[in-house]
Amino acid sequence: MKFIKNHLMFILPLMTILLGVEFYLVFDRTTDTYEKGLRDGYSMLVVTHEPASLETLQSLNAHISSSEKIKRDTIVSSIAKGVSKDAKKEIIAALPYFYTVHLDTYLDVSELNKIKEDLESHANVKRVETFGNTYGSTYRLFVFIKLVLKIFIVFMAVVSLFLIIKQMEIWKYGHRQRMQVMEIFGAPLMLRSGILFKVAIFDALFATLVTSLFFIYIKTVWAETSGIDILVQNKEALFKMSDIGILLIVALLIVIISVYTVVFTAKGEEE
Amino acid sequence: MSNVISASGLTLAYDNGTKEVIKDATFNIKKGEFVFITGPSGSGKSTLLKALYGAIKANEGSLVIGGIDLANVGKSKLQELRTHMGIIFQDYKLVNEWSVAKNVVLPLMIAGYSIDVQNTQAQRLLKHVKLSEHANKYPLELSGGEQQRVGVARALAKNPVVILADEPTGNLDDYSSNVIWDLMENACQQLETTVLVVTHKIPSIFSLPYRHFIIENKGVYEVH
Repeated sequence: MKFIKNHLMFILPLMTILLGVEFYLVFDRTTDTYEKGLRDGYSMLVVTHEPASLETLQSLNAHISSSEKIKRDTIVSSIAKGVSKDAKKEIIAALPYFYTVHLDTYLDVSELNKIKEDLESHANVKRVETFGNTYGSTYRLFVFIKLVLKIFIVFMAVVSLFLIIKQMEIWKYGHRQRMQVMEIFGAPLMLRSGILFKVAIFDALFATLVTSLFFIYIKTVWAETSGIDILVQNKEALFKMSDIGILLIVALLIVIISVYTVVFTAKGEEE
Repeated sequence: MSNVISASGLTLAYDNGTKEVIKDATFNIKKGEFVFITGPSGSGKSTLLKALYGAIKANEGSLVIGGIDLANVGKSKLQELRTHMGIIFQDYKLVNEWSVAKNVVLPLMIAGYSIDVQNTQAQRLLKHVKLSEHANKYPLELSGGEQQRVGVARALAKNPVVILADEPTGNLDDYSSNVIWDLMENACQQLETTVLVVTHKIPSIFSLPYRHFIIENKGVYEVH
């Protein structure tokens, strides 16, 4: 019972840290896709006096990745129903040129305004509409959620680290007598702390395995049945096999640091 | 015969050298000698013993064991030196979560002997200290006298060059004490092991020739 309790007191905080790390990775990947969706879905409207090539627009601001000409007759058809053909032609001839412009990255409102300024500095550009307010509020909400989740993950990791340090104190007390006796009889550090390493590495493997299985379950079973669009669409981002490696490295790093802390702070036989 | 232990102008102190316990002690101990160190409580007997296994360093002078000066010894050399020592404590210092047999073969485990050799030696040593039937028990299941016999068996496990014993019979009744003295006499006589015992009183039944040092007023003096 004591043995199980000792392991759980180490495994649970370790798992909390690993869950935090994995949530961070998943969140980063999912929001990357979401951010890409926002970026791809976003476009600004540029109105020019004369036709403008993509190169011309890109020379004004490097964030412009593509441009699409909006057909003027389409615009006229939708607003000038019942107008004669000749009149339509005149209207079209009098209209400026409209372009839908896409960006290469997700930018905040001030950066959008900068693009607007850059474009409007050119004589050929008549007007630029960024739709900055709608775009900005979505972006701010997105940044806020991202920040809150990251703060929560860091907070969880710090609390768990304190729990691990507390558990280390218990280990230190439990193993002190054995390590002192072994030191007196000339055992080198690795032999003295060998059992601790074995236990800690086992715990690290166990915690990594359980955390990985939890996320594999979320990916393969729960995400499908949850009905949450963003999870279903980003199923692949929920867990990647390379995550097992990342989790294992983090877990091993934590246990190695923990064991060395126990070994080096255990009082010698002189005390 | 060559000196196994050599102290010259040895000063031992605590609190960064401000509290001297032993001052300017000089003595030599040869191979196979049995040595008692006595003195009043707090005179520095245990401090001297700790210095002999390198747990504390000399503040001044030199302390040489088996040709190694403990004042300048590195961590790994000290570890190696300790594998040639058998150390016995008043409070036994057994590992309570290990079986008696595992405690006894600790020095062999440290030296990297195979499990088979360890098992064979455990049987031999436990038979020697008359504890064969307790091999699989844990130290806390034994009496004080039996625990100390486990401590002696552990000290003898690797045929050490030196046995250092700190009040080995301090907590034991007369019968158990006599058993312990017998075991240490045998080790000294049969294995030519140098035995250095810190005690408050030399046992009356002791039959081997021995040397006697007394620690008094920070000095170490031989009693002739």
